[in-house]
Amino acid sequence: MIDFLGYLVIGCPILTLLVLSLTGLFQQPLPSIAVDRLTKTNVAIGLLASIGILIWMLWTGNRIRVLDLGNMVDINEEHLHFHLEFIFDRLSVPMVLMSFVLIGVIGSFANIYLQADSGYHRFFLCFSVFLVGLIFAFLAGTIETLFVGWELVGLSSALLIAYFHERPAPVQNGLRVWAVYRVADAAFLAAAIAMHHQYGQGEFAKMTGSGVWPEGVSTLDPWTSFLFGMLLLIAAAGKSGLIPFSGWLPRAMEGPTPSSAVFYGALSIHLGAYLLLRVSPIFAESIMLRVIVVLLGASTAIVAAAISRVQTDVKSALAYSSVCQVGIIVMEIGFGWWYLALIHMIGHAFLRSLQLLRAPTLLRDYRSLENAIGGRLAHQPGPEISADAHSLSSRWYRFALERGYMDSMIDLYVVRPFCNLFHYFTRLEDRWMQFLSGETPVICEHYPTRESNSASDPVIAASPGANPQ
Amino acid sequence: MSSHHHPPEDASGKRLADRPTHGIRREEIQSALEHAIHYLPSQGPIAIFVHHNTLHAFEHLPFEEAVVAGWNKYHSQPYLSEERFRKEYTNGRIIDADIDEVLKSDLGDNQSVPVILDTNRFQLRRMMLGHVIRNGPDQELLWFMAETNALDKFRRDIPAPSDRNIVESVKQWLLRHASSPDHASSPIDQTIESIRYEVNRGPLDTWSHENWCQLSLRWLHRVCREGAGFVGEVTTDEISVHRHRDVLLGTCQFDCDLRVLELLVRFLASFTDQGFAQWTMPNRSVGIYKSFLELYEVQSFFTEPWKRELAEAIQEDKRAGRSAMDSIENSLDRLGVPSGQIDDFIESTLLALPGWSGMIWQLETNAEWTPRPAPSGALMELLAVRLLLDRASIANAIRELLPSDRRQWLSEHGLSIEKLSECLEFQERKHVRQSVEQRAFILFQVAQLLGWPPNALVDLRPDQWQKLMNEISDFGSLERRRLFQLAYERNYRTQLLDALASQSLKEPRPAESISFQLVTCIDDREESLRRNLEEVEPQVETFGAAGFFSVPMYFRSSSDAHYIPLCPVVIKPQHFVDEIGTLSQQELQRRQAEARRVLGYASHRIHLGSRTLAAGIVTSLLGSLASLPMVARVLAPRLTSQLRSLVSRIVRPNQATMLLIERIDTQNNHQQSSLPTPKLNQGFTHEEMANMVQRLLGDIGLKRFSRLVIMLGHGSGSLNNPHESAYNCGACGGGRGGPNARAFALMANDYRVRRILEQRGMIIPESCIFVGGYHNTCNDDIEYFDIDRLPPSHQMEFLDAQAKLDEARQLNARERSRRFHSAPIDMSPAESLKHVEGRSEDLAQARPEYNHATNAACIVGRRDRTRGLFMDRRAFLTSYDPATDGPDTPILMRILQAIIPVCSGISLEYYFSTVDNVGYGCGSKLPHNITSLLGVMEGAVSDLRTGLSQQMVEIHEPMRILFVIESTPQALLSIMARNPNIDGMIRKRWVQIAVLSPDSSDIQLFENGGFVPYSPTVNQMPRVPNSLAIYQYQRGHLPFAKVTAS
Repeated sequence: MIDFLGYLVIGCPILTLLVLSLTGLFQQPLPSIAVDRLTKTNVAIGLLASIGILIWMLWTGNRIRVLDLGNMVDINEEHLHFHLEFIFDRLSVPMVLMSFVLIGVIGSFANIYLQADSGYHRFFLCFSVFLVGLIFAFLAGTIETLFVGWELVGLSSALLIAYFHERPAPVQNGLRVWAVYRVADAAFLAAAIAMHHQYGQGEFAKMTGSGVWPEGVSTLDPWTSFLFGMLLLIAAAGKSGLIPFSGWLPRAMEGPTPSSAVFYGALSIHLGAYLLLRVSPIFAESIMLRVIVVLLGASTAIVAAAISRVQTDVKSALAYSSVCQVGIIVMEIGFGWWYLALIHMIGHAFLRSLQLLRAPTLLRDYRSLENAIGGRLAHQPGPEISADAHSLSSRWYRFALERGYMDSMIDLYVVRPFCNLFHYFTRLEDRWMQFLSGETPVICEHYPTRESNSASDPVIAASPGANPQ
Repeated sequence: MSSHHHPPEDASGKRLADRPTHGIRREEIQSALEHAIHYLPSQGPIAIFVHHNTLHAFEHLPFEEAVVAGWNKYHSQPYLSEERFRKEYTNGRIIDADIDEVLKSDLGDNQSVPVILDTNRFQLRRMMLGHVIRNGPDQELLWFMAETNALDKFRRDIPAPSDRNIVESVKQWLLRHASSPDHASSPIDQTIESIRYEVNRGPLDTWSHENWCQLSLRWLHRVCREGAGFVGEVTTDEISVHRHRDVLLGTCQFDCDLRVLELLVRFLASFTDQGFAQWTMPNRSVGIYKSFLELYEVQSFFTEPWKRELAEAIQEDKRAGRSAMDSIENSLDRLGVPSGQIDDFIESTLLALPGWSGMIWQLETNAEWTPRPAPSGALMELLAVRLLLDRASIANAIRELLPSDRRQWLSEHGLSIEKLSECLEFQERKHVRQSVEQRAFILFQVAQLLGWPPNALVDLRPDQWQKLMNEISDFGSLERRRLFQLAYERNYRTQLLDALASQSLKEPRPAESISFQLVTCIDDREESLRRNLEEVEPQVETFGAAGFFSVPMYFRSSSDAHYIPLCPVVIKPQHFVDEIGTLSQQELQRRQAEARRVLGYASHRIHLGSRTLAAGIVTSLLGSLASLPMVARVLAPRLTSQLRSLVSRIVRPNQATMLLIERIDTQNNHQQSSLPTPKLNQGFTHEEMANMVQRLLGDIGLKRFSRLVIMLGHGSGSLNNPHESAYNCGACGGGRGGPNARAFALMANDYRVRRILEQRGMIIPESCIFVGGYHNTCNDDIEYFDIDRLPPSHQMEFLDAQAKLDEARQLNARERSRRFHSAPIDMSPAESLKHVEGRSEDLAQARPEYNHATNAACIVGRRDRTRGLFMDRRAFLTSYDPATDGPDTPILMRILQAIIPVCSGISLEYYFSTVDNVGYGCGSKLPHNITSLLGVMEGAVSDLRTGLSQQMVEIHEPMRILFVIESTPQALLSIMARNPNIDGMIRKRWVQIAVLSPDSSDIQLFENGGFVPYSPTVNQMPRVPNSLAIYQYQRGHLPFAKVTAS
């Protein structure tokens, strides 16, 4: 019975995804009312099923239920196997409940919000991919299951950031976020491979001992813990926008409001913190690791709080406030306050979703606040500062305005050297080609990659066969 | 890399030599700046949204030239696309007669200018309007010819006889030719021989029809291909390039504006922030330029290379102690802008970020009411900053993109556009308009569609081919779209004028039989409310007047913190009016205000706190509580809002309020502490009140009073809508007109005012009572003011009227709901009302209402001229009675002076936002992001977006508004002569004008500089018992209909 409920929790999102993707694939998009009903029903069933599991857990005092689907791939000679396993425990069930509630609300929000938009079906397809990824990630019992969910979440997030793909900015920002995610993925994958090397399999139970979360005791020695921990921390930092990756979060606000709200404000952003919670027992083993986690969380929180204070647009301000809270959550994890972190995470997700959903109503909110107070809202911190360029307040303001220099740091010390290296190879190849063909050199060292995008003449282009004036 | 030490800008050694004297250069910069300002969008902070003509800067030009000028300046579309027009043709929204008529009148005497063969210009153009002439790149065309049946079959949309004519003619010719003696020697014969070889080698008499088609088409194509070869190459004008960025983008594919945009937008948003960010920018008060220098002077380990160059430029500016103007001069020198090009250069630099540049200008000149206006000279400082940034970005791009020899060359020759273009071998774009292949394909299609047989074309001389091609080119896409636009407008105009002409003149109903009278705003959204009311209550009389009801004032409600102006933007109010609690309620109100203030501070703390570190922890730990309101608001918006309003009763200002409209004697009122401190012009004198009442009643021609007159102001309330103010009353300057209606009713009821009016000869009977109200056009709620003061004798009448209005607003909601896709098509009126109530409270709703979308006409005249006409919420209705007007029509002049700018502003803003939603409008609403409390950006960082969103205009039909005025042509011409603005709008065709004779149904239309009689087409308008019968189950635009119920 309980297993059946478990299958429902996992099955409903998959069913939604299958229906939406197959109808899309065969060019038979469902009418919006059907899409709405489909997502609502499936989310509702999934929600009820997970409530059922929660009640069962509370009722019987049973704290863990494992759903083992066995090996999807198993090549023994190569020691390659892909083990699909889901765990329902005190950590995953609340997260799944939260996800269903948020996804359900945002789904019905988006159904109205995106009504008649040309990307309606695309949105809901990404949305269902996201839901499947999230449920997989939260319920994962093996590191490879978590990886599948993690990747699906990342992919759908990047696609939704680039939702308005007719403009260049969303696409560029989507690509940038995707690149950051890939760095996190690489760290994650390295951790997964290391784990398989160590144990020959990827069950978390192996790593975190036999106890039920959060009472597991790691079976690793401190140094292995440290290694795993660091890899997973990099993965978590990328996904959760911790230092130095915080720059991607405001860029994620390119998509339509509901996707910003649920994905980057509430769910995706917590995935990294969730990963740390899932493997929390290994932190107990290495003091050094815990110190690093606390420091990372604390510095993220402080920097993000400062940055959010100078943001002038509502979505960026909320994005950095989210980063700030996630930093604190990570700090709590480092201190070992796991239940607190869990409650904090869930509360924060709800709060931020609501705030982002009503972001466009900001002007009205400010007006009613001013009316209630009976005057202009005070500007902080009171009198205006006049300071010369080298003063602390000026520098600190600039630091916050440049968003902690995080993006420029990455651009300067990671992206540029990387690109330069490949440009160097291109030049080498070019010289070689010149030598072979005897062609004249090209002017720009960066090669034209696309047609000039300066405004072509739509008066002409508007209709094929037309000639202007 | 030695070049690091030689920035190109430093190396232009000669720049001091050819530098003009300071004064001239400065004047030039100043005038260039003033010139450029005209082309910036004039939308101010979004909290007060005023509709205006998007192309206001081009109003001195005729409309069709202005849209092209707009295209050249902003690269935004002048008209709808041809594709869309053709779709409208398919939908029957444009019919053949429309196209024929507009084409005839457009060509005038040139209709029968011969083209070739028997075809004249009219026929050629008519064909090009009716059929798509396709084209494509050469490769595609070659593929198309080789791989499709283009050479086997005629185009499918070919008019019936053309294909047969061609085939028959070819057949005849060939049979005749074959029998002639000298055949088989000329090149034509060889051509035909080779085609025959391709088609069918059998004897001609065995050929099927298909074979003949194949032969004709192949021959035709070859002839056209040959003819195309005789036509000279045509190139379009050079698109001149004013900025270095364009050269770099055109050659290196590197856009140096992108990084400038990101930095500049962040900086400007912080500078102009109206109180959103918790930290104010340091040194804000010293202005844009100086605070920028302070902020970006410092370099650090993480500074990107181009920002290092920026810091160097800043340090140099600081060392030299330059002002913003000095800095601009210096930057222009460094960028090598010669003095003749300064104008273009500055304009295109500012237009690279139009939204923000425009906003800075608005904040500098036109926003004294905001918390933080910009200091004067802000736009010039912005230009100085922008040029510093551009220089850094360009210098850095050159350093990183160009090989060292080119850099060297540049540093020797200077960085002017010419030198940069030369260095990068930049080709200014010259479009080769059409290749031979493309021209041939066009000719091939035209020949098919017009039935020109190849045997006739083969004899054309080169100059005839050239002439033909010129004729075709002269009627390009732009011209075709212009004509389509005319046809589109003509179609609606014909329908409207026919409908008006078919209205019979009615005798005014006797005063006793009028149950009550309703005065609303002229707004197109009130048309349906009035019509529906007239249907449920045929004894009612309705009027339309500009929604501030001639009461211009600064108003502050009992729960508001600030005064807001409630009148058209062109008027600056002279009077202040407060709403306060009634005397008996003042203690209660004071307590409520206190509670509100405490709650307000608390929620502000929470609002800010949730974004900070420490307080954020508390709020997010409690954040799970946020799930309740969120789930409730999204899933059941209407219920939640009812619940909320129940709760907020506790602190809401009590309904028992009064308006302080009377002038308070400042001497005697010191002891009454509850009154606000008297201002200079607190309230109106009775004399002023009498003037306003007299003026409005005179304007709308209300002279026979029933026992009850209801005045309805309007506004709109919706959630999650940064553009909320755009939905409010335009005549109240984007405010809500309720207080104006309330004030007017109070004045008109005042016995002292009536006494003054009586002396002036305007008698309002004692039995007549005015009631003010407020109509929320989003949720169709109507609120009435001061009804406790109604005399008992009028209570029953008021309740009856209220019941009728309730019925009417349900029907109004029903009629509006047909447009909303999320509303079921078969709702009852009561359900519709619930639906629109839910809509206005729904966070997820991107279309709370459709605002002025579909507006198309404005009718100035008595309601009887339009009563009973289903106008589909598309017309502004202004009441005006020509019989009450004086000899020089002063009333009409007054009305037109007010409504032509307002209505044409609305119409044209909708026009441009619809024809190019991305260029002139603000694009889709979905990614909008409120910034600095000033406007919206798209996504994370972008220019400020101005204009209307896609969700606001998606159902709009872009047409120039048609004014139909109940008056005589002489009166109109005289008004135009006296008012150059109106005259310009009409003669330059920004609006259309027709006059409807006051005592017959004759209509005259203003065309080509004068009024010409309009002859109505005889067509039967549908007659329906009520409006519901025509709009039921319909989502799209509807024709006019005669409603018999009213």
